[in-house]
Amino acid sequence: MSDTMNIEDYLAQGGVLTAPGNVPARYRGELLRLMSSFVDSELAASAGFADAINLAPGIRERIAASRITLEKADHAERVLRVMAEFGTDAGRYQTSHDWAARVERGADLGAARRPGDMRLSVFHYPIAGWTDAVVMNVLQGLATGVQMTELTRVSYAPLAEVFREIAPREARHAELGREGLEQIAQTEAGREEARAAIAYWRPRVAAGFGVTHSARHDTLARFGLRHSPNEALLARWQALVSEHLAALGL
Amino acid sequence: MARFHPLKVTDVKRETRDAVVVTLAPRDEDRALFDFTQGQYLTFRRDFDGEELRRSYSICAGKDEGMLRVGIKRVDGGAFSTWVNETLAPGDEIEAMPPMGKFFTPIEPGADKQYLGFAAGSGITPVLSIIKTVLAREPRAQFTLVYANRQISTIMFREELEDLKNLYLGRFSVIHVLEQEGQEIDLFTGRIDEAKMAALFQHWLDAEAVDTAFICGPEPMMLAVAASLRAHGLGEGQIKFELFASSQPGRAKARPVSAQAGAAGEGVAATVTLDGATRSFQMPREGETILEAALANSMDAPYSCKAGVCSTCRCKVLEGEVEMAVNHALEDYEVRAGYVLSCQARPISDRVVVTYDE
Ligand SMILES: Cc1cc2nc3c(=O)[nH]c(=O)nc-3n(C[C@H](O)[C@H](O)[C@H](O)COP(=O)(O)OP(=O)(O)OC[C@H]3O[C@@H](n4cnc5c(N)ncnc54)[C@H](O)[C@@H]3O)c2cc1C
Ligand code: FES
Repeated sequence: MSDTMNIEDYLAQGGVLTAPGNVPARYRGELLRLMSSFVDSELAASAGFADAINLAPGIRERIAASRITLEKADHAERVLRVMAEFGTDAGRYQTSHDWAARVERGADLGAARRPGDMRLSVFHYPIAGWTDAVVMNVLQGLATGVQMTELTRVSYAPLAEVFREIAPREARHAELGREGLEQIAQTEAGREEARAAIAYWRPRVAAGFGVTHSARHDTLARFGLRHSPNEALLARWQALVSEHLAALGL
Repeated sequence: MARFHPLKVTDVKRETRDAVVVTLAPRDEDRALFDFTQGQYLTFRRDFDGEELRRSYSICAGKDEGMLRVGIKRVDGGAFSTWVNETLAPGDEIEAMPPMGKFFTPIEPGADKQYLGFAAGSGITPVLSIIKTVLAREPRAQFTLVYANRQISTIMFREELEDLKNLYLGRFSVIHVLEQEGQEIDLFTGRIDEAKMAALFQHWLDAEAVDTAFICGPEPMMLAVAASLRAHGLGEGQIKFELFASSQPGRAKARPVSAQAGAAGEGVAATVTLDGATRSFQMPREGETILEAALANSMDAPYSCKAGVCSTCRCKVLEGEVEMAVNHALEDYEVRAGYVLSCQARPISDRVVVTYDE
């Protein structure tokens, strides 16, 4: 065993980096790409939920939507702080896009990101009513839960730590959604509406898991920035969704 | 953007033959900025013949010592560490960024926590800061340090660690592992590797009682210790790492610049390297950035904001000249070293060679 080793070998063997000073150039690019995708998605999600607050049927729902709006913005800020240690101008970054902007409800973006920002494509679609917002939150919340199993063990320790702080609060958001959906699913009319929303959101959330057999995944896996392939995460999410919806009779 | 502030060198003490301990004081107005958390590091900058180098050093002082202190070991042929060891003197000023890093756990005065620390060589510095701070501020905490060195004479902070053992009798213990000098017990000779870890856990360490483990040392040791801790049931959140490995540019030679600007209208011969693969192609002189050209040639170059703000798209110009439309993310010293934001960069020479790999 020698004193030091090549940083790529170290990463491939599960090593952890701890400071901007030990991050190699290619790793830096992929790490920033990963962080900005998260920040953009959280800011877009927060902006989307801000509108849902006024759709909320009661006070409890209003509080839940407000909390999600607030905390998603907070999570974006925490990750943006890590980006800033690499030079990102955090002040300009948060105002560089219109986070509330949405495409037409009927548009089909597939998995592609749109020029402008790096949010997951699902956050480009507009929310249409309270049930729609709740369904979107349940499905995307479960997806975030699955993604968090990856994010909480990224090889850049300061970021993994932020994700470990965020994960339980994101899980709570998904749970708030599930409680909301339970309410909605108590009437046949509610179930009807929920089913329509599920048909709309399910493929759009699924697209967020990216393409199968992604070439970039291999690079990210070598860097320890990803561990499970997209198709495995997608399968886990599909199973979770089926289980949750079945429990609510949907 | 990162801001540097002057620190006054108030003391330089030789710790071992090739390491010094430097005490620093911020200006009064910067005091709050330099109020560190145990285990954090400072990043210094200094000009070496017109070329700026940045290096990070962990703070080795405890929270209650009321000062900033770093321990710097001379690396053979190392620019910054040699300069500090040979030239830096009390009264000098040195510029540093405020403390950074997350190599710590929050202090909980009432908790009776068990900590494990693994350090090799100069990796003791942040661990020492943590040891001093938790023993002082968590009166029921216990700390066991496993500390690897070549030989007795190269052990940094040996006396200070002895003093701490006496001050915190029964709460702090040190296991020295020496590569070259046989100790009374076999276990303490050699390196911290898989076999040594297994032996330590068998005889000396109780994994189940451990709340948090801190590791700071060279890569192979970090891997061996982390693997062993995981195998003994510690979760990711319980293992804290600090890696000293540096990917900062050393004292690079000034890059060759072909100054002749091409005539407007002609194409540019571009060569781009990404993930070890190099592609050459023609790109228009106007209207396309290096990033767009790379993407158009189906290279998966990293980018995000495309607005010169995030720096995800950073690449290095090896040959030729480019011009950035805006730059809100790279600092002057990076630009001088040849880095550009590829989403903002257009070639102004006939030929450009850039890489995303350096
Ligand atoms: C977060 C962080 C905290 C750190 N804390 C400390 C600390 O408390 N004390 C301390 O002494 N150092 C610490 N370091 C390491 C320090 O930042 C420098 O990397 C080191 O001092 C060498 O810099 P240099 O300019 O002297 O050498 P350079 O001119 O950069 O390098 C000269 C040669 O030495 C090699 N080299 C570079 N660094 C090392 C190394 N660490 N071990 C072996 N070979 C190396 C290079 O590959 C090169 O061949 C820390 C690093 C990081 C990232
Ligand atoms: S992509 Fe953000 S600075 Fe170039």
